[in-house]
Amino acid sequence: MKTTALFFAMILGLTASNAGDDKFIETMTRTIDLVYKASTTDEFLQSINTFDRIGNSEKNRWEPFYYAAFGYTVLASREADAVKKDGYLDQAIVAIQKASTINPDESEIVAMEGFISMIRLTVDPATRGQQFAGKAMQSFEKAVSLNPENPRALGLLAQMQFGTARFFKTSTLEACENSRKALEKFRTYVSVNPLAPAWGKGMVEGSLKECQ
Amino acid sequence: MKAILILFLCGMATGAAAQTRISGTVTDEKGLAIPGANISIQDSYDGASSDIDGRFLFTSDEKGPHGILVTFIGYSSFIQSLELKGTPIVLAVVLREEINQLEAVTISAGSFTAGDEKRRTILKAVDIATTAGATADIAGALNTLPGTTKVGESGRLFVRGGDSNETRTFIDGMAVLDAYGPSAPNTPSRGRFLPFMFKGTSFSTGGYGAEYGQALSSALVLNSKDKAEMNQTDIGLLSVGTDVAHTQVWDRSSVTGKVQYTNIRPYFQLLDQRVDWNNPPLSLEGSAAYRQQVGVDGLLKVFGNFNRSNFSMFNHDIASPATKQLVDLTNTYAYGNSAYQQSLREKWSVRGGLSYTYNDNAYRVDGAPFNESEKGIHSKLVFENSVSDKLEVRFGSEVIARRYDASKQDEKTLEIVKQSFNETITASFVEAEAYTNKHFVAKGGARVEYNSLLGQPSVDPRLSLAYRPRKQGQFSMAYGVFRQSAKNQYLRVNTALLNEKAEHFILNYQVITNNRTFRVETYYKRYTNLVKFVGGDPTVLINSGNGYAKGVELFWRDNRSLKNVDYWVSYSYLDTERDYLNFTSPAMPSFASTHNFSFVYKHFVTALKSQLGFTYSYASGRPYYNPNVTDFNSDRTPYYEDLSANVSYLPKNWLIIYLSCTNLLGRDNIFGYNYATTPDSNGVYARQAIRQPATHFLFLGVFITISKNKSINQLPNL
Repeated sequence: MKTTALFFAMILGLTASNAGDDKFIETMTRTIDLVYKASTTDEFLQSINTFDRIGNSEKNRWEPFYYAAFGYTVLASREADAVKKDGYLDQAIVAIQKASTINPDESEIVAMEGFISMIRLTVDPATRGQQFAGKAMQSFEKAVSLNPENPRALGLLAQMQFGTARFFKTSTLEACENSRKALEKFRTYVSVNPLAPAWGKGMVEGSLKECQ
Repeated sequence: MKAILILFLCGMATGAAAQTRISGTVTDEKGLAIPGANISIQDSYDGASSDIDGRFLFTSDEKGPHGILVTFIGYSSFIQSLELKGTPIVLAVVLREEINQLEAVTISAGSFTAGDEKRRTILKAVDIATTAGATADIAGALNTLPGTTKVGESGRLFVRGGDSNETRTFIDGMAVLDAYGPSAPNTPSRGRFLPFMFKGTSFSTGGYGAEYGQALSSALVLNSKDKAEMNQTDIGLLSVGTDVAHTQVWDRSSVTGKVQYTNIRPYFQLLDQRVDWNNPPLSLEGSAAYRQQVGVDGLLKVFGNFNRSNFSMFNHDIASPATKQLVDLTNTYAYGNSAYQQSLREKWSVRGGLSYTYNDNAYRVDGAPFNESEKGIHSKLVFENSVSDKLEVRFGSEVIARRYDASKQDEKTLEIVKQSFNETITASFVEAEAYTNKHFVAKGGARVEYNSLLGQPSVDPRLSLAYRPRKQGQFSMAYGVFRQSAKNQYLRVNTALLNEKAEHFILNYQVITNNRTFRVETYYKRYTNLVKFVGGDPTVLINSGNGYAKGVELFWRDNRSLKNVDYWVSYSYLDTERDYLNFTSPAMPSFASTHNFSFVYKHFVTALKSQLGFTYSYASGRPYYNPNVTDFNSDRTPYYEDLSANVSYLPKNWLIIYLSCTNLLGRDNIFGYNYATTPDSNGVYARQAIRQPATHFLFLGVFITISKNKSINQLPNL
């Protein structure tokens, strides 16, 4: 009886296109692992290409485009040449906009939009300071309000606060407070989505060193 | 049961064995490998990235007809239908490079572009605000660029041997009449629009496109900011007044309102002025900006500005300084502008707008009234079609209708004499921009105008080219015919006066590398149809005047070599003569000078949380008319020199303290001379030097920003 049940469950599972879902989860998990481990531009572009392919065939999933945007943003942050940096960020925006069309209220997507603005700012802080600092802060605040448990939204918000405090040599109290909260959430927060982003803990731990 | 399951799994396995192997190469049109291209079977995950040699290899379980898609940033996508049935497929994919606006050659002849977003800009919006000596005046900052002549007593833009009225200002494509605030004779005026309103500025010193008309020498195209991002209140406490602004933001719209009160009296009481003020300038100004996003990418911008100002001063007689005359001016100014843009169907976009200017000057000279007013409406509609990445076409129409009125009390009869005119200019333009590849672009077009006062149409061609032989360094040239109605003061005397005409020929070489710019430009400009006084009589006017201007200009900017330092150097050589107005023979006009030099230096000192700036300007002597000599405009003033400095100090992230001072060298600059109308007993015309109203101009401002987000300040606004 048990085996029969299992059998039917499998058949049902297969026909109800959960196979597609499994394949999606499996391919995504593998590629997410690759983008986290990527160290060369080539490795980044390879995984971005894979995300792009997955995203183009899974029309209702935001995750592939989210990770493509993540890959481009990290590439931009490592790039020294300003024109190339902006080029990667342009691609990141194209990707995150696709994700946002699919799921506009996802805290992670809004936080990524803020992350892109933050890296955009670093290209030319003197000129872009006002515009992109405002944009980034707004995105992070919105991301926190959409999901107060999202550790990345809080951690990125703290990053901006650190930057401001460092520039004006003012107190890092608020930034440290938010970093601590973010770290706490990194330890406790578990998303129901197996493909939920997991990056950012190291960034928060790094900046917390300034808070001794 | 188990057996069935195994069978099923076997079936899957055999399916896997019938995979199709797809391999090949991705190259560009020259046969060079493209690494990192994305090769995919549409609607599946199957695919690969090309390697360093452009090669790729993958297998697919898909069966039957499928599209194979190859994409790479900056290249047109490649798509092909294939039958997947297990037999290996080998593809040689050639991608065609798309022309990317950011990387392709651009037409740089005659134009300086400033903006935040574009990477190939020479000046950024914030540069205009932080240039020492400019005190946040757009014209003041642009006067440090090549092609301009410093005319210290005017404060306006004089471009390449042209008078200041030959530069026209456009906001979001819409014409602005009377773009400068009123000023007392021989004291510098300021632009009516503050640099912080704009995200981008394009300053063209010649050869501009067919969209811009009624400008003989130069077009200053200002693009206002888009929707504001956050709620904030800004307060400015200035040594010359105060201002308050508030911005309120909604999801799809934003509103900014600003009130500004300027009173120079306290400042003038502290620092002695050479001008004998009765009432120093006093003004009250209000402005508001509204932004509304419409649909997917539509944006409506509405801007309004109202200003009322007054001053009165005593003019002393040159021959007998004790005799003085009271001049009083009240100016009322209103400007409204609405602009809309959005994409239409694929590849098409539309933009249009409406602007209205009202300017009224009410003079009293020892009580005798002289009034002058101008009202103008400008409406415009432009369509753009990106036919392909290599061809863009733009066409549009506009109507500029204005009315001018002047009334003056006759000294003898005490009767009020009125002069006025209505002018309607209807114009259409068409322009195409075509790339052969990313190294060569040509732009050509024409502008047709019909002027109601003249009753005849005119056609003005415009043409420009740019060529970039290698990755860096580009050559460009521009040619065009430009026309502009005669100044109001002449048109009111004779409404049949033809448009004044100028023809521009420009050659330019420019290199922009990471944070360094070098540029050299040479030009020739020919003036015809200039207004001329018949027999020296200013009431009998014809269009027989003519002239020329030619020159060479250099520009170098570097913000890479020294840490936290940004500087630019510009030099202009100008050779110009004209025979117009009351000139007795071809001569250099009094607003021109042969050599102009500027050095602008900005240094951010992190330890002091301050930005320090210096600007050094030099202009060789300008011609002036001396009735005591026979040659017209043959005398030259001493050279002009100025060293200005400013400091922006940011003690808190919501607070900026700004201090600036002009003429640190304390030079007594002389801009020209006013001569008595009649000779003295020795037969000599007495004269009075036109000098700076004070040796220095000091400015102190405290700027406070209140917002939820404390990291925002007014730095970009200064």
